[in-house]
Amino acid sequence: MTNRRNILKGVAAAGALGTFGAGYAETVQKLARGKWSGEKPRDEHVVGNSIPPEFSVDPETGDVTLNPDQAMSYTMCIGCTTMCGVRVRVDKAKNKVLRVAGNPYSPMSTDPFIPYESSVAESFAAMAQAGPGQGLTRRSTACGRGNAVLEQVDNPRRVLKPLKRVGPRGSGQWQTISFEQLVEEVTEGGDLFGEGPVAGLREIRDLDAPALEGAPEFGSRANHLVWMNCVDDGRDNFVLRWLKQSYGSNNFTRHGAYCGGAYRSGSGAMFGDFKAMPHAKPDFTNVEFVIFAGTAPGNAGNPFKRIGNLVAKARADGDLSYVVVDPILNNAQNGPSGARARWLAIKPGTDGAMAMAMIRWMFENDRYDAKYLAQPSKAAAEAAGEMSWSNATHLVIVEPDHPRFGHCLRGSDMGLSIEGEAYSETDPFMISSDTGPVTGPVPAGASAAPLFFDGVAETQNGPVAVKTALTLLREEAMSQDMEAYAKDCGIPVEKLTDLAREFTSHGRKAAVSSHGGMMNGSGFYNAYALMMLNTLIGNLNWKGGTMIAGGGFPENKGPAYDLASFPGAVQAKGLPFGRNVPYEKTSEFKAKKAAGAAYPADAPWYPNAPGLATEWMSSLVTGYPYKAEALIFRNTNPIYGVPGVAHLVDEMKDPAVVPLIISIDPFINESTAISDYIVPDSVMYETWGFTKPWGGVATKATCARWPVIEPKMDPNAEGERVGMETFLIAVAKRMGLPGFGDAAIPDAEGTLHPLNRAEDWYLRGAVNVAMIGAPVSDASDEDIALSNVARIADDLKATLKPEEWRKAATIFAKGGRYENIERSYQGDKATYAFNPPMLVWNEGLGSFRRATTGTRLPGTPAWRAPEFADGSKVSDHYPREDWPIQVISFKSPLQNSYSVGAKSLLRIVASNPVNIGRDLAAAHGIQTGDMIRLTTPGGTLESVAVVRAGVAPDTVAIEHGFGHRGFGAEDITIDGATMPGDPRLAAGVLLNDLGMLDPTRAKAGVWVDPVSGTAVRHGLPARIERI
Amino acid sequence: MDTTRRGFLGAIGQVTIGAAASVAGAGQSASAEGTDVPHWGMVVDLRKCIGCQACTVACIMENAVPEDAFRTHVSVYELVKEGQDPAMVMLPRLCNHCDDPPCLPVCPVEATFKAENGEVLVDASKCVGCAYCVQACPYDARFINHETQVADKCTFCFHRTQAGLLPACVETCVGGARNFGDLNDPESEVSKMLRDNEVSVLRPEMHTNPNVYYIGLDDVLDGRVAGEAAYHPEMADAVQHHGEGL
Repeated sequence: MTNRRNILKGVAAAGALGTFGAGYAETVQKLARGKWSGEKPRDEHVVGNSIPPEFSVDPETGDVTLNPDQAMSYTMCIGCTTMCGVRVRVDKAKNKVLRVAGNPYSPMSTDPFIPYESSVAESFAAMAQAGPGQGLTRRSTACGRGNAVLEQVDNPRRVLKPLKRVGPRGSGQWQTISFEQLVEEVTEGGDLFGEGPVAGLREIRDLDAPALEGAPEFGSRANHLVWMNCVDDGRDNFVLRWLKQSYGSNNFTRHGAYCGGAYRSGSGAMFGDFKAMPHAKPDFTNVEFVIFAGTAPGNAGNPFKRIGNLVAKARADGDLSYVVVDPILNNAQNGPSGARARWLAIKPGTDGAMAMAMIRWMFENDRYDAKYLAQPSKAAAEAAGEMSWSNATHLVIVEPDHPRFGHCLRGSDMGLSIEGEAYSETDPFMISSDTGPVTGPVPAGASAAPLFFDGVAETQNGPVAVKTALTLLREEAMSQDMEAYAKDCGIPVEKLTDLAREFTSHGRKAAVSSHGGMMNGSGFYNAYALMMLNTLIGNLNWKGGTMIAGGGFPENKGPAYDLASFPGAVQAKGLPFGRNVPYEKTSEFKAKKAAGAAYPADAPWYPNAPGLATEWMSSLVTGYPYKAEALIFRNTNPIYGVPGVAHLVDEMKDPAVVPLIISIDPFINESTAISDYIVPDSVMYETWGFTKPWGGVATKATCARWPVIEPKMDPNAEGERVGMETFLIAVAKRMGLPGFGDAAIPDAEGTLHPLNRAEDWYLRGAVNVAMIGAPVSDASDEDIALSNVARIADDLKATLKPEEWRKAATIFAKGGRYENIERSYQGDKATYAFNPPMLVWNEGLGSFRRATTGTRLPGTPAWRAPEFADGSKVSDHYPREDWPIQVISFKSPLQNSYSVGAKSLLRIVASNPVNIGRDLAAAHGIQTGDMIRLTTPGGTLESVAVVRAGVAPDTVAIEHGFGHRGFGAEDITIDGATMPGDPRLAAGVLLNDLGMLDPTRAKAGVWVDPVSGTAVRHGLPARIERI
Repeated sequence: MDTTRRGFLGAIGQVTIGAAASVAGAGQSASAEGTDVPHWGMVVDLRKCIGCQACTVACIMENAVPEDAFRTHVSVYELVKEGQDPAMVMLPRLCNHCDDPPCLPVCPVEATFKAENGEVLVDASKCVGCAYCVQACPYDARFINHETQVADKCTFCFHRTQAGLLPACVETCVGGARNFGDLNDPESEVSKMLRDNEVSVLRPEMHTNPNVYYIGLDDVLDGRVAGEAAYHPEMADAVQHHGEGL
């Protein structure tokens, strides 16, 4: 149908006139015919400077003809934490990425994604006009940021050679050094800066010396090397091998504690795992009603594009209606969708009040799924046709002074004879008997149990007050009336009941979804309460309900190679630096207890939390629980990301506090800027890695990343490109650490293979990905050519066994390994179900004592106003009369904390004025465009106001991603040459500059949630004034 | 702190939008339906736009659009109707490839022309950069490219459709809002969308017969709406703003 015509064929281009002269002659030329006059722009005159197409696809046959000048490769975007599979278009001669689109094999970029068996040629045709629906059905996308971040590869401020600071930390002065000098200095230490001796990594790795004298629970001095990561970009297994199994430090953390950790912890409470923190997402395609609270589908979130795409389709073509509960109206709402997409304003940080009000209404009106909640075991659930179960019926010890207060009553408490240890998995949970008056608890069996019980259990040690978990949740929900909840969250009672009614009117096809918007002073309980709404309607593991991720194909432990263990590996030991373990395990506790007062501890501990980067900042500057000697930042930026951290930066800059700071990063961000050394690293399309989705994908999916362009970092003396892997391998070899070198990676037969280059690791990882289950088919010569895996074919052949390399090539040619979409469901159930029970009462939560107060907290969802570490209310320190408004941050669809260097993004949104609601603006005489000053107990900033209708009362909202000092916002001097700061990169303001210290902490630390230990960036008490 | 009043306010005033109206007989383009020659058109389903600006950036990359201009972008509005909650509207904008393009007759050198598949294109070898067409376009879709010194605009990715590919903005549309195809083919996705939905065009009073249609536009911009334009600045102070282009 599409005929090949070149409408301009007859238009002869004028012959070249040679170089234009300067000045008048050129002007005349332009006036006459334009700059192109006389020059042949290319063979077409109508498309401006458009780049030539990557290939052509015959619309009839689907035949693909490559453009020989360009390469098309499937790899991974790291423009945000979603890490989508993308297709990168490269100018081969210039080694330059031209544009990025999606990978149609990847569920992150395409819905419905194409069958994995499709050839690469078929994948190209699927997205062209030859594809189904004229290419629209299988279109595969990159988002706005994903389209722009290729500019980071060529960012003129990239670090390409190892740098060492000149002058004091943070001075912005650097010198280039050789890779070999870098490795020698950080390993051997010495008087590195003319400031006195600095211990090197070799000296710090003393596996026999204690981390803290007299406190063996903290392990060895090797733990004085602490590693701060951002997100697992698919290289963390390599890092963890080096850090934990080779070096022997147990101290590794990621950025979650200042990202979305409060939500993950709240979800982890219900899913019964505070370390892995499982979470489920709505089945967006089939769900009928969703409450989004603390997350904004299509505006931000993870997986960003997939949720945006599925929600857009479901609200337009499907059955989805939803409400976005948020202090600020954003792109998650959609006017043209009418009532399908609504916005409900809420006071910052009060989602728990809303959720507990809904829970109260559901109890009062019998609008919870009693049949689901009544199943006390997996066997009972299966017998009842349920897809999951909960501990709603389990009895909890509520006797205040009982040694097992807050724990569930078990068979051994009742004196039942049990197999195995008391309180182990084989010790049965107890439920109440349902035979008339209370006759005492019985073990949970394979049939339904009473939901409510409040009475006494005759244990072998006497009578003990017990209640069912659901009774405790109901009591908590009933502890405040609807009017009080409404007042706290700013949502009228009528709307709260409407919301609860609508939520409970779709059977299991309703869901609550949340994420980063829980980063407030009550965030943990808010998230737990929101998630509990899902359990009260029993929607887990159902099509149209909530589902966990399908997982992936792990690269580190597979049928071909064992990348997870090796001869001579050491066992990293010791309580972690971030204090996310029970305080009661410490020598400090024992000593204080012996002295008569076990509480308070010197600083907070968070037994119900994962590794906490936010708390690490306090540990680093206060030396509690022990002092760090060396810190590695890898592609991470807590100095920008942690609210209130500005109050700790002076200490971080003091080499007496942390003597050695090394950054591994392609850029000089705010954290890199205060380091002693910078190891240059690769950017996205230059680097290796394997990732799986966080959530929102029901099938197994592993995305593979590989260098589709030649990395730009300088090579070392051995000719290897400098980067994280090169650095760690070199340090390991210099120190003689186990697990690296010529005999490091065991295959299935136990034969050891080398680990001397990044390729040795990642190519073998790809074989594992390929070989799990039914192995993938071999890549054809055509697949290898079309995907330009030819670029790494020599490495594949040289590194892998003859029968392996084409299977690994398939993983790279298709950008990963993806289960086909048909595997999403088994009938009306999720293929990949979450099996452990949903915890209506979490024992770990309900039984622990806060280290700083010695007091307990509820083991169920609850609504609590924010507290500082000593248990005092934040509002008592900063009363409403003095601090009448609250500040929140919100995510940008375009910028994140590290994207500012992708300059095209600044063309669209160049800054982040402060969003203010109409009433608040009117009260202060503020109009759009006015300069305003915001003041919190933590800081002050000045910015431009934008007055909007879509902001909750007494709330000011600041978009995240601006207000940089790093990335080139300020001057960078290297070897005496200064690259001036660019004001565009510094545009706008950073909410974290308003972040607060907790004034009740004796050892300095920022304000965090008391359970999850996560940063507070929503609901900062503030004042506003027009200036 | 570095957000300047001037840069910000300059951006606000720039966004303009015409009234929209439903279009009867959408899909009846200038060329007769049923011919073998495709007539390209775009149907934008505003219910599916998430305002991610993927189209905007993909276009910049694909077409090397200079820093001070856009060939396409997405205007973001917070709309406030009396007695209703405020609502977000994301409006993708581009050259409408009109069948009666006002930019065409004003061109003194006949550089602007209507191509065989309906695209409105500029022959750079003829264009003198006088910008009459920039003034004439009711959609603010044209600009003078300071690198090429000629009129520049969306081509519906002419170079890509010639190769059997989709326009960059369509290929990368995350929400699936932008849909592209042959309006002459009654079985094409876009033809079906025009049949199955009430659609609107921008500035129907200009009688331009555009080939860009919108689903869900009239409901929010029906003339009784107090609209607030994009609430974010579009240009940093340090960037020269020419006020041309979308």
